[in-house]
Amino acid sequence: MFEKILIANRGEISARVARTAQKMGIATVAVYSDVDRDSLHVACADEAVHIGAASPAQSYLNSARIIQAAIDSGAQAIHPGYGFLSENPEFVEAVEAAGLTFIGPSAASIRAMGLKDAAKALMQQAGVPVVPGYHGADQSDGYLAEQAQQIGYPVLIKAVAGGGGKGMRLVESAEEFTNALQSARAEAKTAFGNDAVLIEKYITCPRHIEVQVFGDGRDVIHLFERDCSLQRRHQKVIEEAPSPAVTPAIRSAMGEAAVQAAKAVDYEGAGTVEFLLSERGEFFFLEMNTRLQVEHPVTEMITGVDLVQKQFEVAAGMPLGLTQSDIGITGHAMEARIYAENPSKGFLPAIGDLAMWREPAGPGIRVDTGVREGDSVTVEFDPMLAKLIVHAPTRTAAARRLDNALANLRALGVTTNIGFLRQMAQHPDFTSGGITTDYLDSRNIADFAEPETNPATLVAIAAAASRLGLDRVGAGGSSQSTTDEHTGHAGDPFRTLSRSFP
Amino acid sequence: MEWSVGETSERYTAKLTDTEGALALTGLTSDGVEQAHSEISVARDNQPGRLLVEVNGQAQFAHVAKVGDSWWIHLNGRIHVVNGHETGSADSDAGEGGLTAPMPGTILEVQVKEGQRVREGQTLLVMEAMKMEHRIQAPRAGEVLAVNFATGDRVDMGDTLVELGE
Repeated sequence: MFEKILIANRGEISARVARTAQKMGIATVAVYSDVDRDSLHVACADEAVHIGAASPAQSYLNSARIIQAAIDSGAQAIHPGYGFLSENPEFVEAVEAAGLTFIGPSAASIRAMGLKDAAKALMQQAGVPVVPGYHGADQSDGYLAEQAQQIGYPVLIKAVAGGGGKGMRLVESAEEFTNALQSARAEAKTAFGNDAVLIEKYITCPRHIEVQVFGDGRDVIHLFERDCSLQRRHQKVIEEAPSPAVTPAIRSAMGEAAVQAAKAVDYEGAGTVEFLLSERGEFFFLEMNTRLQVEHPVTEMITGVDLVQKQFEVAAGMPLGLTQSDIGITGHAMEARIYAENPSKGFLPAIGDLAMWREPAGPGIRVDTGVREGDSVTVEFDPMLAKLIVHAPTRTAAARRLDNALANLRALGVTTNIGFLRQMAQHPDFTSGGITTDYLDSRNIADFAEPETNPATLVAIAAAASRLGLDRVGAGGSSQSTTDEHTGHAGDPFRTLSRSFP
Repeated sequence: MEWSVGETSERYTAKLTDTEGALALTGLTSDGVEQAHSEISVARDNQPGRLLVEVNGQAQFAHVAKVGDSWWIHLNGRIHVVNGHETGSADSDAGEGGLTAPMPGTILEVQVKEGQRVREGQTLLVMEAMKMEHRIQAPRAGEVLAVNFATGDRVDMGDTLVELGE
C-alpha cells in the first residue's frame, strides 16, 4: 500500500479522499491555489503544497506543477478526485511517466470513453443497448437529415465532443432540423473546437440511472444503481440509491450491461455507466464517467463499501477482494447537494461569509463538506458547499431523514438552496418516486417556495439579538460542537466519515 | 432601528421590554402602523449564537449570526434574513436589482436593442458567472435606453448592464 498520496483537487472531495487515506494510515498531501491557502481541504491533509494562482488553469489544472508537487513531497500516487484532471488521459500518462501511480483508470480506458460516438460504437459491439441513433463520419446536411428521418422524431442533435448540454438541440420535426443543426454545430465549434454531431432518438420523460462499477484488472463488478433524475438544467439536485423505478429484473440486466461496458475498455478502478431508463422500462447506454462521481456516497451507504478505499487498494495492485455476490443493498440512501445559490432569483449563485455553519449529526447522517464556519464563499469555483447524505431502512424514512437533516443544517451568512431542497424532499412528486429528468425544468420554481414565517417573530429575534449584543466579536462562532462519532449502524464502515473537520 | 424581512419592503419597528431575564415584544409597527402580534419573548441561551424564543408559550431555539446590517436567523428548520435600516432611511434601490450584474462574469448574449420596449420579466441579456448561465430580466415594463455591454464582455459585480426608462 502507498505510504503517501497527493490529492489533486480541492473542496469536499479532497477532504473526503483524505479521510479514507487517514483511516488506512496513508499520509496525504493537499494542493492549493492562492485563494485556497486557508481552505478546509488544506487543513484536512497532513501537508499541503501551493501550486499557483487562483485561476484553475494555473493551479488545479496545472499538471506539471501538480506532478512536481507529488515528487517533491515524496508522494507515490495521485488521486484526482472528480472534475479538473480526473478524466484527462494526458495527465495520466504524465503521472506514469514521472514514475508515480494514477489512482484511477488507464489513459486508454479514459480515451475510449471520452469521445461519445466512438464509445457508443464500442458499446454496441459489446452488446450494451444504446439509444437508436446515427454516429458516423458522414456529416453532410442532407445525410444527417435523412438519418434523423429514419430514427424518427423527436431527435436530439449532440456535439460528438460535447458535455454539459452545449451543442445539444432537441428537434421535434423535420422542418426544424436544418436550423437546429446549424446552431448546434456553431455552438459545438465554439465550445469544443469540433463541430461534428451525432443524432439520437429523444426519449421522452426518461430517468437518469447510473450504475457504479469497479474493476481490478482481473474482474469487474457493479455496486447497483443510483437514480439522479432530479435535475435542474443538467445539474443534479438530489440523488438516491436504489432507484424507486428499477425493478429487480431491470437492476440485474442493467448491472450486467454496465459490467460489459467496463470490460469492453479493460476498466480498472471506480467508474460509472450512465443509462437513460424509458417509461417502458427499456434502458440505453449514455456514457461512462471514468472517475469517482460526486454522488458516490449514496452507493457507499447502501453497500457498505468505501469506494475510495477500494480505489487505493486497486491502484496499489491489490485485488478487489469482493465478488458480485458479496454486494447487497441495505436500506435506502439519498444525497442533497448544498449549493450557495438563490432559488427565488433563478438559482443565481450567492457569495458571502459563512458566519455560521453547523452540521446535523445523528444516526444515518453523513456530511461531506468543503467549507466550515468562517469561510468565505467566492465566485472562483463551483458553488457546491457540501453534500448531505442520509441512510435509512426505507425510502420513506430516508426522505424524512433528509428533510429533518436539512432542517438542522444551520448555514447562515450565505444564501443556499437548503429551503428549496426541503420543499423537494417533502413534495408528493418526490416522495412518490415519480421524478423524471424533465421534471424541474418544466415546473414553476415558485411552486417550491418555502412556507412563510410570522414576521413579528423574526423582527423580535433580530431586535433582541442586537439588544443582547450577539453581534459582538466572540459572541458568534467558534462553538462548533464536535459531532457524534457514529452513524448508528453497528459495524458501519463509515464510522469515521461522520467526523467533522478539522 | 427599522427592520425588513427578506426581500419584502415593509419596515418594522419592535419595542422590547426586559422581563425576568427575557426580552418581551411589547410593541410592533409595520410601515408606521401599530400591529397586533403574538406573545413573543426572546432570551439569551448558553450556546453562542443561540437564543431561546417563546411564541404563545411555545419554546424553540433560534440560531443567529450578523453579517453586515442583516441578521441571519435559523428558526424551526428555516433560514431567514432580517435587514436593519437606520430609522427613516430611504429604501435601497429595490426593483433596480435586475439591471446590474449580480456578480462578476461574462456576457453571453444580448437579447435587446436600444429603443426597444420590453415587458416585465423579459430576458434582457444572458451572462455567465461561476460556470453557470444567468438571465438578467426586466424588473418592469419599459424602454431600453442603453445597453452598456456586448457579447463576450467581462463585467464586474454591480456594473449597470442595461438602462431602462419608462
